[in-house]
Amino acid sequence: MLYRTTGQFKTSYAADHALFPVRQDAVLMVIVLLFAWVIFPLTANEFVFQALLIPVLIYSLAALGLNILTGYAGQLSLGTGAFMGVGAYACYKLITIFPEMNLLVAIAISGLFSTAVGVAFGIPSLRIKGFYLAIATLAAQFFLVWLFEKWAWLYNYNASGAIQVPNMDMFGIRVAGPTASSMVQYYFVLFVVCVVTYFAINITRGRIGRMWKAVRDMDIAAELVGINLLKAKLIAFAVSSYIVGVSGALFVFLWRGAAEPNLFDIPLSFRVLFIAIIGGLGSILGNYLGAILIVALPVILNIIPEVFGLDINAATIEHLNIMIVGTLIIGVLIIEPHGLARFWAIIREKLIIWPFPH
Amino acid sequence: MDLLNNLFIKPFQDMVSAPDFLMQVIWEGLVSGVLYALIALGFVLIYKSSRIFNFAQGIMVVFAALTLVGLHERGVPALLAVPLTLLVMFILAAAIERIVLRPLVNQPDIILFMATIGITLFLIGFGELIFGGENKVMITEDLMIPTGSYVFEPFGGFVLIEQKDLTAVVGAILLVLVLLLFLNRSKMGRAIRALGDDHQAALSVGISLSTIWVLVWFIAGIIALATGIVWGARAGVSFALEVIAFKALPVLMLGGLESVTGAIVGGLAIGVLEKLFEIYWGQPLLGGNTETWFAFVFALIVLLFRPQGLFGEKIIERV
Amino acid sequence: MKKRFRSVVFGTAICLGSALAVPPAFAEDTIYAPNLAYRTGPFAATGIPLMNGQRDYIMMLNARDGGVNGVKIEYDECETGYSTEKGVECYEKTKSSAVVTQPWSTGITLQVLPKTNVDQIPILAPGYGFSPMSNGKVFQWAFNPPASYWDGASMMLNYVSDGDLSTLGGKKIALLHLDHPFGKEPIPLFEAMAEEHGFEFLPIPVGLKEMQNQSAQWLQIRRENPDYVLMWGWGAMNAGALSEAVKTRYPMDQFIGIWWAGHDDDLKTVGERGKGYKSISWSVPVNDAPVMADIKKHVVDAGDSLIDNPEDMNTVFYQRGILISMFLVEGIKAAQEHFGTKVVTPEQLRWGLANLNIDDAKIAELGMTGMLAPFSTSCDNHTGHADAWILQWDGTKFAPASDRISADRGVIEPLEQAKAMEYADANAPWPINEECS
Repeated sequence: MLYRTTGQFKTSYAADHALFPVRQDAVLMVIVLLFAWVIFPLTANEFVFQALLIPVLIYSLAALGLNILTGYAGQLSLGTGAFMGVGAYACYKLITIFPEMNLLVAIAISGLFSTAVGVAFGIPSLRIKGFYLAIATLAAQFFLVWLFEKWAWLYNYNASGAIQVPNMDMFGIRVAGPTASSMVQYYFVLFVVCVVTYFAINITRGRIGRMWKAVRDMDIAAELVGINLLKAKLIAFAVSSYIVGVSGALFVFLWRGAAEPNLFDIPLSFRVLFIAIIGGLGSILGNYLGAILIVALPVILNIIPEVFGLDINAATIEHLNIMIVGTLIIGVLIIEPHGLARFWAIIREKLIIWPFPH
Repeated sequence: MDLLNNLFIKPFQDMVSAPDFLMQVIWEGLVSGVLYALIALGFVLIYKSSRIFNFAQGIMVVFAALTLVGLHERGVPALLAVPLTLLVMFILAAAIERIVLRPLVNQPDIILFMATIGITLFLIGFGELIFGGENKVMITEDLMIPTGSYVFEPFGGFVLIEQKDLTAVVGAILLVLVLLLFLNRSKMGRAIRALGDDHQAALSVGISLSTIWVLVWFIAGIIALATGIVWGARAGVSFALEVIAFKALPVLMLGGLESVTGAIVGGLAIGVLEKLFEIYWGQPLLGGNTETWFAFVFALIVLLFRPQGLFGEKIIERV
Repeated sequence: MKKRFRSVVFGTAICLGSALAVPPAFAEDTIYAPNLAYRTGPFAATGIPLMNGQRDYIMMLNARDGGVNGVKIEYDECETGYSTEKGVECYEKTKSSAVVTQPWSTGITLQVLPKTNVDQIPILAPGYGFSPMSNGKVFQWAFNPPASYWDGASMMLNYVSDGDLSTLGGKKIALLHLDHPFGKEPIPLFEAMAEEHGFEFLPIPVGLKEMQNQSAQWLQIRRENPDYVLMWGWGAMNAGALSEAVKTRYPMDQFIGIWWAGHDDDLKTVGERGKGYKSISWSVPVNDAPVMADIKKHVVDAGDSLIDNPEDMNTVFYQRGILISMFLVEGIKAAQEHFGTKVVTPEQLRWGLANLNIDDAKIAELGMTGMLAPFSTSCDNHTGHADAWILQWDGTKFAPASDRISADRGVIEPLEQAKAMEYADANAPWPINEECS
């Protein structure tokens, strides 16, 4: 009833290729966007902005980047954190060398640096496969974090080795730095995330996306049907690193405000990987669902004892927290290895035929 | 010119001019290499028999060591604490098999890999909940591990060899020998290898998948305990130990995911090379701390020439 | 299948509901003082005793005196695991109702520092954080009494040179430090001092992943053979360094740690063989001090403490935790007195912390004689620069091994000034309080 697709006829190829061929999907999308653009910002307080809304968006963007590489092109990467770092440090250098530069432009350019590094570390993927490649991406992870630590030029020879975001304006509005308001930062991030997602959806469902999926499912077979593996894999590394780099720049400039090298260390990479896998590999929607779960869960778990007036000390909560996240990962994998996105797909299927089961 | 000198000539001059120091560096490298090899061995065993890339091996090391020390703290004598810890590791192995692995049979590799990360997180939380986060002292003396040191004085300098490091090396060699004997001579060991070669063929001749999985996870647990004792004796037992699991990954790359020999040779090679690189190139030229990445980059370069590692099985791809 | 969906949907609804619920309101007559603690992670070993001390002092005041001037202090921990990310989350979570933020890591301090100007909440970072925070004109909301890292570094140099820095000429001093903002903090001062007094300064970084495996660093120390090894270590790094030092046979009495590298448990891993190791410390354990007896009576014996064993009270870190809470409480007291109010606001607490006057009489009154050196803060001096002692490990415990040592403020102050201005410039527009004379 609610999700009835009968009666929606497509009379042209264009209509059939539309982003949302089913009308209800489009309506749902509009509702989600309405929430994201209007209702959340109006109701959220500072804490919700800083601890939930902004990080969810940034993490889902990072997971989207990883998902393109791992979920669509089948190349497992454990180095996401370091590529985020490349984006962040590139953006920092751009901003300090050209203080007049528009932040949006700087972030867009800093993604290019990440792309270059990503492609360089992607070249071995032509010879190395599977877990060997995964470990090889760890080489990037550890080497780059070490470089962030040792290459003093990157952090302008600052004694503490950390980078700090200066106050920055865009069109007269403070967008970054300690005095920027959370709402402005949220809208900035939301804008970037929406734009990148739009492009990502269209890349992944187009020719390039199909090429990636062929490589993922069996690269030898893909090569035999005439797909250029070198090109397909390197494009995947490039697009993925670009998105990851942009998310890294957002991560530091629009959320954290300062960063030290070990912020980009392996736990960050794993966090993004959790999001991508729990959300669902090979899906765009999954990244958002996964990020909501992984980012919001610890925050909520921390609040629950307070809400119910339980007096558990902070350390115990944290221990339980880690255990719950671990259990949850295993649980989701056992119940639905294709992640939360598949959950939604199943719900949608059910809704289409509801209330009449087969 | 100066750079070339620093890169290619000076390090070797340094090595020759202080041979006792060089020997010490190599010894230190070998000792860490033995530990890397032990962790890698745990990975290899599990990968061989089930194609699971077991990320939890590192935390199993911590968990085993903590259980041992924790039991001892609660008044269990050391020599009884060891078998009790082994019992705990067995229960852990059985639980992992029953709860995590069995429902996930036949899933893609990456899903199983993620599940082991889930196990890692769970064990971190669980371990800290029970044993607390404090740094603990390994009960070296109670386990009758000697703690003195030998000093040799070749070439007018000195080389220091700790008895516990020596014990670690000897213990590791014995462990590996027993393991190889078990894998090659016993019925169970052959079953493990059969399962590694071909799952379905092994199942069809009546090898029980779940028994073997519990067994390999238990053996990995034994190796974890050995590693935990040895490493804990060097640096104390705490959750910071967990990061050494990462050191085993380049060893796997270098040696090959399926090869026991590879794990040992790779471990020793990486242990020694990263130490030499750090001391003679890393510290003077690159500002130190190169040990975090050297092994990975080195393994990556080797992999470009041998994509399955030095001793790994040749990858045959079919469409 | 259907049932599972329902429970998932239901669970999500509950979670969302509780997330949006407002944090509980606090009663009018309590002061909320959260602590960004870490009892988990690789640094838990050093964090736990400190946080226990902090907690127990407040618990004792609440039990013995019914709080501070009749107002109970609500001590609450938010777990960070020493992760900067979690720390900022904790800051955001607590800032609306808290009077103070205690970030407990140099990394978190650096992140929170610019935000405090906007949120108007004082940072209390005793003995850590950013050394130029001492400059109260620039860092109006940050306090790091009683001594900064640069003070500590200078005191260490004064100690090893016996007060005459010129004797250091031609010597070699290594700094074994954590490769993290905390460990890098003293480097500018050492570099400046090395240039001035002609000693060779050799920083040896220990990566976060190398804390337990420092054989490469100690091989370097053996090769370079420095006259002194100073250590800026924390968490699992200290125990690792000590056992390597024992192994390398580096003379223990030439090995000196900063105050965070003087933890009894770390030394217990090497025990007798660590004899002679020193640590500079602005706090001295006095096990029979009256305040300790009160804590034992009101908190530990009452079973309200988190320590496992009453023996743990006799450690350097536990007692330092007590002093840290004391700074906060004295700040609150000063503010209550000055503003004639009971429940102080963050703004008032800032005034209190900037007007701490911990003199000998006050120390005696608090029952803390001998536990720390007197100091006082002011509008432009947010540190106080108290003297410190060298504590030496005698195989079973730390004991003072020197007279009080002062820092060379003459050298440090211009550097603090320069770095503070540099910070303000980099973060322009940065408010500077010109009112301090």
